[in-house]
Amino acid sequence: MTVLSLFAGPPSSAGPESFRDHVKRLGPRPRGNGALIDTLDRSGLVGRGGASFSVGVKWRSVESRSRGAAVVIANGAEGEPLSRKDRTLMSLRPHLVIDGALLASDAVGANRTLLYVGEAHGAAAAAMARALAERPPADRARTTLLGAPPSYVAGEETAAVNFVNSGVAVPQATPPRPFERGVDGRPTLVQNVESLAHAALIARYGDAWFQSLGRHHAAGTILLTVSGAVAKPGVIEVASGCSVDEVLALAGGVSGKARAVLLGGYFGGWISADQAGSMVLDPRGLRAAGGSLGCGVVSVLDETADPLDVSARILQHLANESAAQCGPCFFGLRSLSAATTRIAARHADHGDLPQLHRWTAMVKGRGACRHPDGAVAFLESALKVFEPEFATAAGARGRRAS
Amino acid sequence: MLLSAVVVLGVLSSLRFEVPSWPRFLTTGLHRNLALTALVFLALHIVTAVVDPFTHLGWLAAVIPFSSYYRTFWLGLGVIAFELLIAITVTSLVRGVIGHSAWRAIHWLSYGSWPIAVLHGFGTGTDTWSAWMLAIDVVCIAAVVGSVGARLMFTSADPLAADRARFRERVSRKVVK
Repeated sequence: MTVLSLFAGPPSSAGPESFRDHVKRLGPRPRGNGALIDTLDRSGLVGRGGASFSVGVKWRSVESRSRGAAVVIANGAEGEPLSRKDRTLMSLRPHLVIDGALLASDAVGANRTLLYVGEAHGAAAAAMARALAERPPADRARTTLLGAPPSYVAGEETAAVNFVNSGVAVPQATPPRPFERGVDGRPTLVQNVESLAHAALIARYGDAWFQSLGRHHAAGTILLTVSGAVAKPGVIEVASGCSVDEVLALAGGVSGKARAVLLGGYFGGWISADQAGSMVLDPRGLRAAGGSLGCGVVSVLDETADPLDVSARILQHLANESAAQCGPCFFGLRSLSAATTRIAARHADHGDLPQLHRWTAMVKGRGACRHPDGAVAFLESALKVFEPEFATAAGARGRRAS
Repeated sequence: MLLSAVVVLGVLSSLRFEVPSWPRFLTTGLHRNLALTALVFLALHIVTAVVDPFTHLGWLAAVIPFSSYYRTFWLGLGVIAFELLIAITVTSLVRGVIGHSAWRAIHWLSYGSWPIAVLHGFGTGTDTWSAWMLAIDVVCIAAVVGSVGARLMFTSADPLAADRARFRERVSRKVVK
């Protein structure tokens, strides 16, 4: 059931794969050119940072504007609190990520490659630094390792670009998007490190190979971070197109009885346990269906936990992570978070629950970036999946549950 | 008069001259809706001027500045003010596509469009020197000049300034390269 592609090779206990072992196992880095972009297009690879956007289309949009002076940012900021997959990948297969970044650089016509790695993720940053030092001088000369500040929005692509430009990782209003004008005003490709690692393997083995890894019409493998009420939480690689039930079985099974599954992390949404099990994990398919695999977070909430309390905490985190650039995001998320916290504490004000429904509509789409939209989408999923709990708790004023 | 109200509201909205309990339609919403209403009346003004059987202006005179045989200069001003308004409106409708900075740059044209429209009124208005028209002019000019003065005198109160500064500090590069 497990399909190893990114994590094929030495076991995780062996630590980061050295450059020598990497080249011995996979051969030298192939050519990054227009043909590779076509291959990526056909492979069906979509971005693994959360948006599930076609990698081939993204690379081409930069390539068509680059004139050889584009910039590539390998995005390993991983500000999502429930995700571990990017730092795990960088800790174990740093050269796959660097290969992918350099291939992207060659293919889109970039003369600068930046590895943007969460500065709080020590093991990943150290592995990447060591890996870069093992590389030939030609690779090193065009590549810079850069620490991403520990914040939720630091990995948002305009925030990453702004961090390189001005040293402050806050999102910018779009357009222009980074592929039009990014680092130093040049076309910039901001791509999640997992997506780049997949690209490094597709460049070697082709699009048909990548397609064959997935089930049914899903392509490739996906890295997931499984957490919550499972026996063996952690990062796993699975075939795209497998079901949530299979993933939970791989993680040692659910401890206790599941109430719901949080899919995609803080920007994702709750799915009730009875619907989650049969759900098919296919980034492209989920996106087409209006859902999202996000950054591959699968977190299980068991029946003994209080879903309102967990949801309120997540919302509070997102409210605190607002960059305070736009009123609707800063004030809106703060109000939503406060009302949700009051309901979860079982001493809601009379209008709190109706307010939540009203306010979510007033916050959506009103920020410079999508931060408020993500937070609201999460809250809406909580309101839907935990509707009975919300209704009971909102009416429980004065009768504090202990 | 409508245009002046639009300008006043626009200038004041950047000052955040508002009270939290006021609904949004009083500030940004009113600015937008009055602007669109003004455009409708402006369209009526242009159509009625063109089809006026005594002037025979023709449609070209309504779109090409200074092309009218009749009161060439003063009518030209009106055409310019009108076309600036079109640019301002269209860019506002597609702000999400062209980006905030481009929209903002073009929105500055408002400060050109309004005085040109006022001059056009003085130059070729049929009732310019009647007491009621003068009264309207005085009120409009005083309102716009007053609000622009207020805008220049008071800086906008940014309710997020302190929180934003704290957040920026948190996500800033520690060592300057």
